[in-house]
Amino acid sequence: MAYKPQYYPGNTSVAKNRRKHMSDDVEKLRDISDEDLTAILGHRAPGSDYPSTHPPLTEMGEPDCPVREVVEPTPGAAAGDRVRYSQFADSMYNAPAVPYWRSYHAAINFRGVDPGTLSGRQVNEMRERDLEEYTKRQAETEITDWGLAGLRGCTVHGHSLRLQEDGTMFDMLDRRRLEGGVIVMDKDQVGVPIDRKVNLGKPISESEAAKRTTIYRVDNVPFRSDKEVVEHVQRVWELRTKYGFQPKA
Amino acid sequence: MVKTASVTDKPIQLRVFPYRMLQPQTAEKILNEIDQVKGVIRMLVSGKNLPRKVTCGPGTGADVNHPDRLIIHVGGCAFELHVIVGDIYVEVDDESAIEGVRTACERALPFPFELKRGHFIKRKPTLTDYGKYGFKSKIDESINLEDERMLGLTDPHAKLETNLCIVKSEENS
Repeated sequence: MAYKPQYYPGNTSVAKNRRKHMSDDVEKLRDISDEDLTAILGHRAPGSDYPSTHPPLTEMGEPDCPVREVVEPTPGAAAGDRVRYSQFADSMYNAPAVPYWRSYHAAINFRGVDPGTLSGRQVNEMRERDLEEYTKRQAETEITDWGLAGLRGCTVHGHSLRLQEDGTMFDMLDRRRLEGGVIVMDKDQVGVPIDRKVNLGKPISESEAAKRTTIYRVDNVPFRSDKEVVEHVQRVWELRTKYGFQPKA
Repeated sequence: MVKTASVTDKPIQLRVFPYRMLQPQTAEKILNEIDQVKGVIRMLVSGKNLPRKVTCGPGTGADVNHPDRLIIHVGGCAFELHVIVGDIYVEVDDESAIEGVRTACERALPFPFELKRGHFIKRKPTLTDYGKYGFKSKIDESINLEDERMLGLTDPHAKLETNLCIVKSEENS
């Protein structure tokens, strides 16, 4: 019988969404062109070549190494791209993703990733062209709702604040805002103005956000209402405690 | 607004906590509504900073031009919002004004809010204030400040002119 990964326990909508994010079985909600994505990431000019930090691996003459023979390099590593980052902040008010689940999504479904998981933001470092592929996946799918999340390389403040009157998450640098019913972004992730207004699509409604979120909240789906998850978390903690216990002989 | 020094009476302090961060138009509306309530001594607007320029990261120095950093008019006095309004602290002179503040908030806010009573604004000078303003004289050790209602409304190191808006009462104007 073929192995089928079991990503996360639970029967609530939150648990199901968590499984979806981890398995990359996510719905695509919008289209963002490669040029627009490159512009909002701000690492290179849209349409320009990828700057490299070393020659392509095929030209470098790698040492004889069994591991290198087994592991196929990612396209970015093979081409010698620079390592670059993208960072998302997600609102605590029922944003579809949370930092942990962005990291799970990146680490399970992409290679050559270095996810950094913080309380209010999630940063991911990868080779540049791999990073663009990964960021595009997160930006176009239900993992990101641009009203409740933001691509923020710095000044990420906002995830734990009340939402603004228009239902979007506060952005101190005004990188993206609600204009005419859609979210537009006219600055890159560090707040430098770009030469275009990138349309990031319509934000999802409050009720839709409550259905798509991976956050347990007492005013939506409480954590304790999912018995299987509670049991699983308690079991993990119990085993961690027991394995850490080393009585002296 | 009445001109009663807050330190002489025992005024009541209230905190208005809207469930959303306020846009400048709503902030202007609610501040004007509260200003109309009889018995309001002073108000303090608190929220998240709206910087003029990017202060960290590779974009340091770039203009932000946040659309919410607008000039609003409260009680005939114009001032620029430096924050997105999150909380409003109101000091009133007696119990009868509390319901007035609640009604004003209900009129101005299209979403729920909390109104709590407590100690939110400084009521008497601290060491830092004495360091900034000094004593009135060698024999009078009260703080050398014409209007003690200004205490606690701004950071001791901030410039008063850009952070304080003095609304004249009708009898003084």
